[in-house]
Amino acid sequence: MTKTLLRQVRVLNPVYDTDEIADVLIVDQQIAAIAASLTEVPDGTQVMDCAGLVLGPGLVDLYSHSGEPGFEERETLDSLLQSAIAGGFTRLTLLPDTQPALDNPAELAWFQSQLQHRSAPVQVSHWGALTLGTKGQQMSELAELADAGVLGFADGKPIANLALLRRSLEYAQALGKPMAFWCCDPELTGNGIVREGTEALRLGLPSSPAIAETAALASVLECVADSQVPIHLMRISTARSVDLIQAAKARGLSITASTTWMHVLLNIKAVHSYNPSLRLNPPLGNPEDQKALLQGLQSGVLDAIAIDHSPYTYEEKTVAFSEAPPGAIGLELALPLLWQNLVATDEWTALALWRTLSTHPALCLYQNPGAIAPGLPAEITLFDPNYSWQATPDNLRSRSKNTPWLGQEIIGKVVKTWGSENGHA
Amino acid sequence: MATPTWNRRHVISLEDFRPEEYDTVLQTAVSFQEVLSRRTKKVPTLQGQVVANLFFEPSTRTRSSFELAAKRLSADTLNFAASTSSLTKGETILDTAKTYLAMGTNMMVIRHKEAGVPQLIADEMDRLQSQVGVLNAGDGLHEHPSQALLDLFTICTTLDTSKPRLSLLEGKKIAIVGDILHSRVARSNLWSLTASGAEVHLAGPPTLLPKLFADYAIPKGMEGWDDGSRTRKLFLHWNLEPALENADFVMTLRLQKERMTQHLLPSLREYHQRFGITGDRLKHCHPEVKVLHPGPVNRGVEISSELMDDPKFSLISQQVTSGVAVRMALLYLMGSGNK
Repeated sequence: MTKTLLRQVRVLNPVYDTDEIADVLIVDQQIAAIAASLTEVPDGTQVMDCAGLVLGPGLVDLYSHSGEPGFEERETLDSLLQSAIAGGFTRLTLLPDTQPALDNPAELAWFQSQLQHRSAPVQVSHWGALTLGTKGQQMSELAELADAGVLGFADGKPIANLALLRRSLEYAQALGKPMAFWCCDPELTGNGIVREGTEALRLGLPSSPAIAETAALASVLECVADSQVPIHLMRISTARSVDLIQAAKARGLSITASTTWMHVLLNIKAVHSYNPSLRLNPPLGNPEDQKALLQGLQSGVLDAIAIDHSPYTYEEKTVAFSEAPPGAIGLELALPLLWQNLVATDEWTALALWRTLSTHPALCLYQNPGAIAPGLPAEITLFDPNYSWQATPDNLRSRSKNTPWLGQEIIGKVVKTWGSENGHA
Repeated sequence: MATPTWNRRHVISLEDFRPEEYDTVLQTAVSFQEVLSRRTKKVPTLQGQVVANLFFEPSTRTRSSFELAAKRLSADTLNFAASTSSLTKGETILDTAKTYLAMGTNMMVIRHKEAGVPQLIADEMDRLQSQVGVLNAGDGLHEHPSQALLDLFTICTTLDTSKPRLSLLEGKKIAIVGDILHSRVARSNLWSLTASGAEVHLAGPPTLLPKLFADYAIPKGMEGWDDGSRTRKLFLHWNLEPALENADFVMTLRLQKERMTQHLLPSLREYHQRFGITGDRLKHCHPEVKVLHPGPVNRGVEISSELMDDPKFSLISQQVTSGVAVRMALLYLMGSGNK
């Protein structure tokens, strides 16, 4: 029996809207007691002095990429889980664009068999491919995938064919699973890799207009209005998208939406370094986009912040900006950097941040959000917001090091993550 | 030769160039132009230094110009061409740069078909605490500073041969015509020409000259720019005539033929009809107007063949000649800092 007492820790409970200092006793992966001060402690309890530390429900990631299977040089399941633990994530939801793609029950069974041997406090769930091979051409066998246990359906890539998108919505509504779409028009995007605007002109990089996202978004919203099937909108990156989503929610559409932590923290001005780790898809917004995303998250138009962890090797990323594959790692950096930039600066409350990283992502995935209360399983993250460390290749758990913060000082680090030990949801 | 104020290790963009730096380059180039007119066209200034031309994108004209400039300064030159390199064997661009660093290279002249590579390599060189200077010889659609500086030198020397300086352009009207959107030459020229106090008029079809260019030439922070007496004067035109009206200089830009397949233009024919520079069209300009083109020229598309070869109007071959002196000046200024 393992017993741990967290003495005088700042407990964040977004579900109850409370933020208070307390003693928390954890016994065998369960919250045994919480009180302002626990005086009677069982024998053999390990006591941790947690003054200045923050305890919240485990973080929930909406969508990230696994390297394995197919791209183990980028990330293995082991390094992915280590990275998630180091970042305070207790639930991961993986996109299906592995090699081979997760578009059939056999692939899911492979994941399940791989994960059951691993003991890590992280529940891993899977987005099943909406279309075969995530190619956007033909529906996968969605009912079979649902029966096999995928969490929901998403390609993680744009589906350009609106007829296919519409029929998928209709077909999948019978299965009662979450569906997520990334709205992006490939023709309007063209070869664009940064968001169109004055900054893009100065950078001399081919640009993609905001309407590549918003025109596709408007089409998808019309399909949703027509079919009345609830969906999640991934990777929202423009100010105009926030307006469209606000209007859609106001007229009663059953949608949730997320942006990514990189789009929250950065805008195109950061690209002046041409650091290939800043090449993202969708690209970083203009400053007014970033501002609108932050406001959208605060007002609730946007529900959640996703990590979209996208590992790439040094060789793949050490190329010209426009030749680099899009994406950056993020699982072990997101919480410290978001906290440092939003909470430590008093722009956001700690609860608001935690809600967008834990409570709301869970709700978007039709999961029960985590909370810290006696009798509940200990699915929790202990975070030190003041710990200073260097994001060196040695300190990062992910096999890939593609982040613009590589080598920089980071304030804030996850001390420990508790979660269900079965390794799989 | 006394080294005027110069503390720039890399030349990657003209965005933060100061007026005195432009003047330093112009004055230094005059000295080298004098050297190039001597019987022995060589000075020992960079003896023992190594200049590596890292041309990841094929180029003959610019590479030859830089090579000659380095040789006239007595530097040892190394030429790297992407097609015959180990880039195809899995080496990254930083590996290539580090290889040349390990050979003792002092300056790297870098061209790449994508924006940002010179910056990326310069940052890596600084991170490694090397003294290597990086000179951008054209990166994607971003910038081509040495071309803009040789354009500036060519223009200024037509106004004052012995003492070219930025202030000569104050109040002059300069038209830049064509595919502004895809031009790194135009982007660099926008910084230098607007900094001079000239009126800069851009002309092209809206697909190649987006409205966003109106805000282009406002430098980061504006700090260091002398008060505001040099307000940047930049105008956009979707027709040629207002841009040419009374212009003192007309720069045309190369039009890549692939623009049609990108839905940016209906045809080369229509483009030439609306934006091609011909002798006839120059009648709207100042009588002494001069025409520039960064080369290579599509004869009969952006400029008519006769006009290109007309020495009364065309500065095109002077640009090429000035190029060597201006690149000598840049290498000299950058090299004198890292001995």
